[in-house]
Amino acid sequence: MKQLYYDIKKCLGCKSCEIACALAHSLTQSILTAIKEEKLSLPRKKILYSKGKNYPVSCRHCKDPKCVDACMAHALVYNKEKGIVEHDESRCVGCWMCVMVCPYGAIRPNIKTKIPLRCDKCKDKDEPACVRACPTGAIIWQEEVVVDNKK
Amino acid sequence: MSDIKSKSIDLATQEGIKKAQDENIKIVWDRLEAQEPQCGFGQLGICCTVCSMGPCRIDPFGEGAQVGVCGANADTIAARNLARKIAVGASAHSDHGRDVAHTITLTAHGHAHDYGVVDEEKLKVLAEEFGIDTGKPKEQITKELSKKLLEEFGKQEGDLTFVKRAPKKRQQIWKKLGITPRGIDREIVEMLHSTHIGVDNDYKNLINTGMRCALSDGWGGSMVATDVQDIILGSPVPVRSKVNLGVLKEGYVNIVVHGHEPILSEMAVKAAADPELVKLAKAKGAEGINLVGMCCTANEILMRHGIPVAGNFLQQELAIITGAVELMMVDVQCIMPALKEIASCYHTKLVTTSPKAKFPGVVHIEFQPEKAYEIAKEIIRFGVENFSNRNKNRVDIPKHEMDLVAGFTKEIVFQILGGRYRATYKPLNEAIISGRLRGLAGVVGCNNAKQTHDYFHTTVVKELIKKDVLVLQTGCSAIACAKQGLLVPEAAIEYAGKGLQEICDAVGIPPVLHLGSCVDNSRILVAAAQMIAEGGLGEDLSDIPAAGCAPEWMSEKAVSIGFYFMASGVYTIFGASPLATLGSKNLTDYLTGELENVVGARFDFCDDPFKMAELMIAHIDKKRQALNLKPAMY
Amino acid sequence: MKKFVIIGNSAAGISAAEEIRRRDKDAAITMISSEDYTAYCRCLISYYLAKDIKEEKIVLRPQSFYKDNNIELILDKEVTRVDPKKNRIICADKKQVEYDALLIASGASPKFPDIKGVKRKGVFGFRTIKDIREIESLLTVAKAACVLGGGLVGLKAAYALKKRGLEVKVIIKSQHVLSQVLDAAAAGLVEQQLTGNAIELIKGHDAIEIIGEGDVRAVKLDSGKALESGLIIVAKGVAANMNLVRESGIALNQGILVNDMLATNIPNIYAAGDVTESLDITLNKPNVNALWPVAVEQGRIAGANIAQAGLKYDGSLGMNSIEFFGLPVVSLGVYKTDANDPSYEVLQKSDPGQKVYKKFVIKDNVLIGAILAGKIHNSGIFLRLMREKINILSVKERFFADDFGYPEIRDIVREEEKIYL
Repeated sequence: MKQLYYDIKKCLGCKSCEIACALAHSLTQSILTAIKEEKLSLPRKKILYSKGKNYPVSCRHCKDPKCVDACMAHALVYNKEKGIVEHDESRCVGCWMCVMVCPYGAIRPNIKTKIPLRCDKCKDKDEPACVRACPTGAIIWQEEVVVDNKK
Repeated sequence: MSDIKSKSIDLATQEGIKKAQDENIKIVWDRLEAQEPQCGFGQLGICCTVCSMGPCRIDPFGEGAQVGVCGANADTIAARNLARKIAVGASAHSDHGRDVAHTITLTAHGHAHDYGVVDEEKLKVLAEEFGIDTGKPKEQITKELSKKLLEEFGKQEGDLTFVKRAPKKRQQIWKKLGITPRGIDREIVEMLHSTHIGVDNDYKNLINTGMRCALSDGWGGSMVATDVQDIILGSPVPVRSKVNLGVLKEGYVNIVVHGHEPILSEMAVKAAADPELVKLAKAKGAEGINLVGMCCTANEILMRHGIPVAGNFLQQELAIITGAVELMMVDVQCIMPALKEIASCYHTKLVTTSPKAKFPGVVHIEFQPEKAYEIAKEIIRFGVENFSNRNKNRVDIPKHEMDLVAGFTKEIVFQILGGRYRATYKPLNEAIISGRLRGLAGVVGCNNAKQTHDYFHTTVVKELIKKDVLVLQTGCSAIACAKQGLLVPEAAIEYAGKGLQEICDAVGIPPVLHLGSCVDNSRILVAAAQMIAEGGLGEDLSDIPAAGCAPEWMSEKAVSIGFYFMASGVYTIFGASPLATLGSKNLTDYLTGELENVVGARFDFCDDPFKMAELMIAHIDKKRQALNLKPAMY
Repeated sequence: MKKFVIIGNSAAGISAAEEIRRRDKDAAITMISSEDYTAYCRCLISYYLAKDIKEEKIVLRPQSFYKDNNIELILDKEVTRVDPKKNRIICADKKQVEYDALLIASGASPKFPDIKGVKRKGVFGFRTIKDIREIESLLTVAKAACVLGGGLVGLKAAYALKKRGLEVKVIIKSQHVLSQVLDAAAAGLVEQQLTGNAIELIKGHDAIEIIGEGDVRAVKLDSGKALESGLIIVAKGVAANMNLVRESGIALNQGILVNDMLATNIPNIYAAGDVTESLDITLNKPNVNALWPVAVEQGRIAGANIAQAGLKYDGSLGMNSIEFFGLPVVSLGVYKTDANDPSYEVLQKSDPGQKVYKKFVIKDNVLIGAILAGKIHNSGIFLRLMREKINILSVKERFFADDFGYPEIRDIVREEEKIYL
């Protein structure tokens, strides 16, 4: 199961991933037209800055997803096989419970569409759009690295 | 192959790409792929690197920062970025013009013996415009004119002399707006000044300054370049030649001249025929020397000497990849930095000649007008001597070539239309008035790897001539259409509408007229101004049933050209990609809408050639209606 | 084979059942619900009434869920007594079910005030599908509705009724809406949204009588004024459904008291969800946090512990996400402070023009409460800082920044970093 990793030494903070992410989830798939769409596609990934380093922040598809627990509409489900928190937008009511509980602040509300903005790993594509968009290769799409849990 | 077909519609180019792929050489399309997806902020024009408090970006989705550190919003940032492009584009053309003006000055003072006054008639026409007594001897006129021409660049007072060539009404519009171009260099400097941090923060005013800067190119630098080249190199007359990579000849020493300024390439043409060098070539085992052109330099020597054209912008690498080019000589503009790497894969010698344009590690033989022929010979000899290094096993020249007719200057087109002894625009105007011709279109500009090579140019041109629109072309656009066989008189039968066919048939011209290189776009302006003077088509350039477009544009020069056409009253459409302004809705709306009320013309952005042709035809019809002309005849 | 019984079929019950089944493929699981409906998303009933969503979207688990997980589901059956001595429960119809371990997830019920006429037809709680169906049947005749209570449930009911075309008045005893979770400033922003959308708020008053002849006609206020109303929603909080354990010896307060394993004082009896009184992390004392995410987490941990996993529960805390007419508001932990206690620190900023308000309550350098109105995008970060009781001295200055986020707390939270190389 592949996961997104970030070599933050390489992240220049250019926000190419943000734009690529918004485009990948837009209707028209082109920056020139996507910015004019009625329901703007917003990036699900944001570059944040701390202590001289840039960090791409987006949903990590946690194994114990707090957002899934919190989703009172049962729109979020953790798909164990795919290692992905799936979002059934047709069930979503825009209550923002997932935003409220995400320990990474990785889910943002899209007030206009009433659908939270969260990474779906570009599930219909071979790899997430941000990976290809990153000009320095700071975004890495690879098999999950198993890290010993303290527990 | 389907992948290759999406890159270019030109068969020679497709074969060249295939050869590059087979030999694992990365070319422009591969580099584009490596760049994708391209930066969204850049595409939208909302990244600002003007000062070092930045770089700043405006969030196009409206969530993040909407102003830069200094407070500049998307409108200011996009307008400043665009303004700088205009300034650079205008600089390129005008600096070319300056070099030509400098050459005539040296010639006038006897320092450049390889040049002389070839078109004396044109010398006198220009001299009169500059208020010089044409009764004087030719040498004296040349001296006085060359001084005046150089002064146009550094002029501190008054307007550019060529402004008078524009119709009165157009001059009034410029005056009222305060955008009449003054000194050529001054407008560029002023434009750049305006874009310094904390100077002009009003996007509309930046566009005003931009128009003035562009006008100093179209009615200044470019016009000087074209007219003086005609004087010292000769005014083109219709000429037949061949185009496409197939013009490279396997048994010959192939020399490609690439770039823009004809001053040196003119000498290269002569040197390639120098018996001494031809003899040397034969001694090296070649059948002779085959000099061909690439890009606008090609257009210059095609127009004046019928030298074959190897290709347009996106084919420059492919010429080398044929393995048959001994030497590529370059000067300025549109010379891909990648050429060095490509040339190093073959025996090809790349030679730079301009002090303004060098590559690290590439042979530089600097051009001096004073020793023009000598230097040209040195370069050609260098190429001839390289013939023996050619690896015959790697030579594969695409067989494709096409006939074309070029050499239509503003003077000659209408001499033809009016008959040899009645050099007048009357027949052209009458053709439009009667509706036999629907109108005119300028289809110009570059190639852009983001757009299927040559497809947009040829499609839009075919659509236009089908509807009886006479198409005037320059630059890489003209080469694109030439390769597809649109620049021969016979093309009228196959592609033109009935009205245009009748005219082409009667006069013996192609339905698509090649007017020269990209600085020669000024020829279109002057032709249009003379049509107004002829009468019957309104009082201003914006009244003529005409439209312009740059279907596959990519360069800053194209931005400047677009702006001087628009600011002269010509509705202009950019294809391939829009101007990088979409990140500012206000600026985009201004350029594509409100400007029409300001200068009588506006821009459009369009990424579909059929739609583009429709827009142009609709505009032409609108103008016909405004002039109360009959509907198009056919 | 173990036999586990779960009383309740909502958030806590379902997540417990799933967790038990995940860990124990063989155990017999029985779920008993007093409602006659398979599990549904209780918090969505207002959206359903408002017709924002279709009925099929409120289904939490379909019928097949029970079959697929080999769960025996008994609906429409009220459990009246738990008998820990004999490890059995007794239902209203005398049916008895024995268990090896029991989870009480019986939830809560609306509190009805003790006023005249409260039993009249047309007075509803706002908690169950049944409530919604009965409200629905009155919508054709009722033109105006009164909602008693300005808490989240009351406001959601008001929104739904407004959406269905009724004239809606909300009667609020406090001086502002949502007084349990928001301060006056944040509540003011919410009130603007409500009144701006023609929901009338009557603050500082209470209902003293419900007038009618069989049906409801009006609500009489303590001011003496009577408000015409064909429909009344009572939303004055909920009480834990504990009647079934009153005589059982299970320790109770406002809810069933549990330890950090979510077990009651009787080792094989657990409690989870709205019926449970557990340690509140920010208050640092037991409290009932009747919230969906709390119920799901408690259910999962209680279920795991029923299956002998031995998981610890860190505790609950108050958290509410509220959105009315495009204004999102999140309230976390506590917002009330003791002005005389210098260990409290309050940071707040407001931009009424942008409808943005943020407030942070800090005690001994630990965040214990936050209100975020208008811009809520980092609320999960704040919740985490509260949950993990992190010393926030080094980052608190950054709390108001729009670009604050996880990278700035990664060094101070409990985390073994995995994704940043």
